[in-house]
Amino acid sequence: MSRRQIAMVMDLNKCIGCQTCTTACKTQWTNRDGREYMYWNNVETHPGNGYPSRWEESGGGGFDDAGNLKPGRIPDLHRDYGAPFELNYDEALGCVTVDKHSSSSDNERPELKPVVPPVNGPNWDEDQGAGEYPNNYYFYLPRICNHCTNPACLAACPRQAIYKREEDGIVLIDQERCRGYQHCIAACPYKKIYFNPVTKKSEKCIFCYPRIEQGLATACAQQCVGRIRFIGYLDDVDGPIHKLVEKWKVALPLHAEYNTQPNVYYVPPLSPPKYDAQGRITGERRIPDAFLIGLLGPRVPEVLKLLEQEREKKRRGKESELMDLLIAYRHEEMFKLDADYYRKPGAPQPPAAAAAPPPGGRSRRVIPIVAFNKKESLEDKLDNLEVAAGNYAGETT
Amino acid sequence: MTTRRDFLKYTTGGICALKLGLPLEALARIVAVDNPLQGYPDRAWEDFYRREFTVTLGDAKGFAFHCSNCQGNCAFRIYAKDGMVTREEQLAQYPQIAMDIPDANPRGCNKGTIHSQAMYEKDRLLYPQKREGARGAGKWTRISWDQAIAEISEKVVDTLAQHGPGSLMVYCGTGILSQGRRAGPLRLGSLLGSTRLYPSSAVGDMFTGATLAYGIPNVGTSLDAWFEMDYIVLWSFNPNVTRIPDAHYLWEAKWRGAKIVVITPDYNPTAIHADQWISINPGSDCFLAMSLVHVVLKEKLYKEAFIREQTDLPFLVRLDNRKLLRASDLLPEAKAAPARKAGEEAKEGEPEVKENNDEIFYVWDRTTQRAVAAPGTRGNKRSTLRLGKIDPALKGRFTVKDKNGKSVKVTTVFELVAQEAAKFAPEKTQKHTGIHPSLVRRLAHEYSRAHDPGLTIGFSLHKYAWGILTNWAQALFCALTGHDVVDTEHQWSLGGIGALSTPKPARFESGFLGEWLSGKMWETFHKHYDDAREFQRRAGLSPDDLVKLAERSRDEKWMANFGEPKARILFADNIFRRNKSSEHYKKSVLDATELYVNVNFRMDSSAELADYVLPAISHYEGWDIRGEVGYHRFVNLTVPPPGLKPVGETKSEWEICRLFAEKIEAVATKRGMAKLTDPAFTVKVDDKDVPVTRDLDTLHKDYTMDGKLNTDKDVVKWLIENVPAFQPWKFEDAVERGFIILNTNAGLTSPLYANKPYRSFEQQFYLRRPYPTLSGRQTFYIDHEVFLRLGAAVPTARESLHPAKFPLKFYSPHTRWGIHSTWRSNKYMLRLQRGAPHVNLSLADAAARGIRDGDTVRIFNDVGEFTAMAKLLPGVRPGTLMMDHAWEPHQFRKRVGMDAPVAGLLSPLELAGGWGHLKFGAEWDGNQLAYESTVDVAKTEGGNHV
Repeated sequence: MSRRQIAMVMDLNKCIGCQTCTTACKTQWTNRDGREYMYWNNVETHPGNGYPSRWEESGGGGFDDAGNLKPGRIPDLHRDYGAPFELNYDEALGCVTVDKHSSSSDNERPELKPVVPPVNGPNWDEDQGAGEYPNNYYFYLPRICNHCTNPACLAACPRQAIYKREEDGIVLIDQERCRGYQHCIAACPYKKIYFNPVTKKSEKCIFCYPRIEQGLATACAQQCVGRIRFIGYLDDVDGPIHKLVEKWKVALPLHAEYNTQPNVYYVPPLSPPKYDAQGRITGERRIPDAFLIGLLGPRVPEVLKLLEQEREKKRRGKESELMDLLIAYRHEEMFKLDADYYRKPGAPQPPAAAAAPPPGGRSRRVIPIVAFNKKESLEDKLDNLEVAAGNYAGETT
Repeated sequence: MTTRRDFLKYTTGGICALKLGLPLEALARIVAVDNPLQGYPDRAWEDFYRREFTVTLGDAKGFAFHCSNCQGNCAFRIYAKDGMVTREEQLAQYPQIAMDIPDANPRGCNKGTIHSQAMYEKDRLLYPQKREGARGAGKWTRISWDQAIAEISEKVVDTLAQHGPGSLMVYCGTGILSQGRRAGPLRLGSLLGSTRLYPSSAVGDMFTGATLAYGIPNVGTSLDAWFEMDYIVLWSFNPNVTRIPDAHYLWEAKWRGAKIVVITPDYNPTAIHADQWISINPGSDCFLAMSLVHVVLKEKLYKEAFIREQTDLPFLVRLDNRKLLRASDLLPEAKAAPARKAGEEAKEGEPEVKENNDEIFYVWDRTTQRAVAAPGTRGNKRSTLRLGKIDPALKGRFTVKDKNGKSVKVTTVFELVAQEAAKFAPEKTQKHTGIHPSLVRRLAHEYSRAHDPGLTIGFSLHKYAWGILTNWAQALFCALTGHDVVDTEHQWSLGGIGALSTPKPARFESGFLGEWLSGKMWETFHKHYDDAREFQRRAGLSPDDLVKLAERSRDEKWMANFGEPKARILFADNIFRRNKSSEHYKKSVLDATELYVNVNFRMDSSAELADYVLPAISHYEGWDIRGEVGYHRFVNLTVPPPGLKPVGETKSEWEICRLFAEKIEAVATKRGMAKLTDPAFTVKVDDKDVPVTRDLDTLHKDYTMDGKLNTDKDVVKWLIENVPAFQPWKFEDAVERGFIILNTNAGLTSPLYANKPYRSFEQQFYLRRPYPTLSGRQTFYIDHEVFLRLGAAVPTARESLHPAKFPLKFYSPHTRWGIHSTWRSNKYMLRLQRGAPHVNLSLADAAARGIRDGDTVRIFNDVGEFTAMAKLLPGVRPGTLMMDHAWEPHQFRKRVGMDAPVAGLLSPLELAGGWGHLKFGAEWDGNQLAYESTVDVAKTEGGNHV
């Protein structure tokens, strides 16, 4: 066990599938250097194949109940991850060249499309889900490395190149020690490690530790527009993580039966009711409990009930700490980090990091101004809208 | 020398290695790790990722937002290293406006967070290009800016000389909606008297129903108001996909106990978190809206006090001709208010006429039992909605004597509205909407009973023929329940900009009618809607009559149109992507356009067809400011990171227009064309009407405001200094923080309070000031002859126009993977989809046609066809074909895009004009319709089309 464990909670009732977390991670880490096909953060539609495809069914890995590593599969780039295609810009948008081999009789330029047609991708089955209209259902499941307490990857590495940081429990693959054997990839039941074909090493989500060390949330959490992600230390009783995981117990681990003790937790999603055959609304939620239990464990039904009860309290004007936590009135309070950790006497010192100004950050508060009232009639104001549209608002005849 | 035994002592990895069959030599010389779960000996390598992080932070910072046709307006931090942008991240620094309202951070979305990658992509235009060979052949010659500006200016002056100012279109499309960057093209076009379309109308974003009711198309709340509401209806709307930065307020409201109801044909990504999803047959929304009205009226759920005062429901209507009773019916002649002694007031009920008796209307006063003039109407000098002692009747039939002494029977608008609504019981409308009556009744009850409900609609609804009726009936529903107004994407009113962007009258013309005429869309209209009898039954007029009505609308100037331009200079406008009947439109417009210049940051499907392309900056590269987006109160700046290298030879729009101004002046002066008289517009000079002149000899001086505005930075500075709603912020504050905050002045019909979300119409609800409508009130009776003819003088419902000859209703809601075509073809976005255009089919329709997921299919009707991949989506309603919008035509086979089978169509009510507040302008223009075509789909040969 590391001394402390940083963890993340995601409220699946707020995830809108916008994939801003995915693009945030992509530009922070994986748009370069052999990582292009990797999505250290990805968002899947469930029910669905996930990324890499069918990782839940056929990925293997994890531990059995006796604590032995189970055999696992290494996914295929094209079939399972989806190759990160380039587009044929020159061909499609550049100057025309007469193509003797073109099947088109008039030598038209090809359309703008992937150079190699993809057969799969990280979000191929977006919004499909399961069920039949009008009772079909789906929701979004964002995933990162779970920075497990008992990581299968760490156990599987023959060079012991994977470790947990003692100050925060972040699991890292030593990029100098790693030799790219990929046992970790096979062993991880969440398939959250990726082989880098350029460096020939295995890489994965690093919980943005360079940001964490400066008191910043991970890119995916900081930039999550739906405001679904909380970060904090499990032992911090005042923090959101402890409250959601340990106190209210509404945040559940994904596939706990893999026995790796993941440290990313999910608040299960409610869903709208089904229709009956005549088109009336029933009282039955459309995402089957059994499906959610298969993902997040047997406590799902009681958690959903608790969420609805606390929500009803708020509706009647009563207090609910749980609802206030999940509403998260202030974005920056969703992340309770410990930037001072390294500054405490006796704490391990990180190797010198370049002093960089924090992105976003909380260094300044902007003071809202109160009133400034220039008298403008409604007609004047409507004239302003004419101007905005491109019309003249002066006097003409 | 280490023995084998020694080695095994040092490394537990040795055991592992033996078990896995690895040679021990592979593990030689590494340090053993006692327990990697608890510690690790050498962590110096961790600097590897730390260095990368530092590199992305770069050596220079700026601010930016993405000014494209996205109503998000989100502040970003931009990082650059060695003059090139490395990354962006949402600024997330907006202050919380009140402790009990969640703050607006971190506004942004998946598109904005990859622009750093898109701006350097290979589709970027780097230098001016002139086409060789036919348009669209893809053959270009690189030319210098000097040559480009010179050649284009010569041609522009030719056009002006031969055909006058109206022959030139200078148009800034919805690819740029910010006040800073729009200023250049708007100012240049305004000085030249060029034509420009109303962009909202051209793309079908006008909320015409709201204009009927309120006189303003964009009304409603800032979106943080969602958090305060207890019942939120999201109708034909998908905020989880199209209001990404604000969607969180909905789900936070849900945790606060609000009930959320989504009404859409497909089970969309917003429905997944709703408390209730109501599935509706596309194009039948007006029937649902009228059913809600029906229930409210039948079960007396309406609030009498509210509608008596705030709506025209008490107004009297003549039963003989169905026209509103006017003073001109009752008074002998138009006359001004009689002379009065100082301090003397008009007698109660006596009209105080402003200008004409046609704009004074009557209510039946129950106290005095007679018809009295309603205060607050447009023609009445008493400009208040306060009724005083007047107690207007809502029901009844009455008799008045007209100016000739004849008895005229009248009734109230309320009676006529109720009469019409009586036809739309939920049991009756179920066959149109597919909605079980119990759902309708429950919705009506719950909404009426809610404390603070909201009804928000998206831009989709008016892309159906009867969106106008739906929205009008929704407004009626809200008014009857006494609850606020429909929310239709309100905008802030930013004053002071006119002097910058439209210093002289320009040819501002109807978007939807302009494109219908330019594209000769009546041809595809006739093709698709060829069952004239059926069309007449549903629309209330024949196809021929609709075409004639469009011509009449233009001829009578109900809608403004200045004819077909000969030369088009388009900025940020993907004209050949967004127009329907795309192939037909393309041919018509290109045939008629002699000079086509496309100013763009990338080679999109429209740039490909130009005669000249001019490379423009993109979002991070120049100065900009934007503040009109009504969803929130923050005005964002774009401040390029210091030292940012220009991308290729790109220039800002302000600079490009300045070069044009300079050269056009030089060319015109040389030809002796110093001043062009433009008699289409006159202005008053010393009380005389003088025709406007286009001063080509001082064009550059005028454009730069006598040398004050030379750069885009100057423009931003000017805006901060001159827009009252931006006070008292200073330029320096703005540049330091990246954004400023609007003051109370920004609200159109209410103040913007510093610590509360914005709500519309406080001046009307609480101060009883009139609405900007003819009646001065929320309006539910329109006696325009077109409305009367179509039986729509009151809100009603009509069947959709979808032709039955093709089985699938085709509609294309806004994608989450682009802001229209911007970023649509970006590879980072495409990699998170399927790489190429796809259509969404219901499982049932796919099965019936033997289509499997991933098959290549053709989508076709009698107007056109295109090819795409089939995606089977269980959430799609059988009988519909749903496609995410805005794929670039050049992503499709043969460059024929998804709008090829969409027929031209106009909503007849939107052609009306010259009536009360239905006068062409920013508040009243129609919609280019997009969702009223039907198609079929079939597998096609060629396998996977990619």
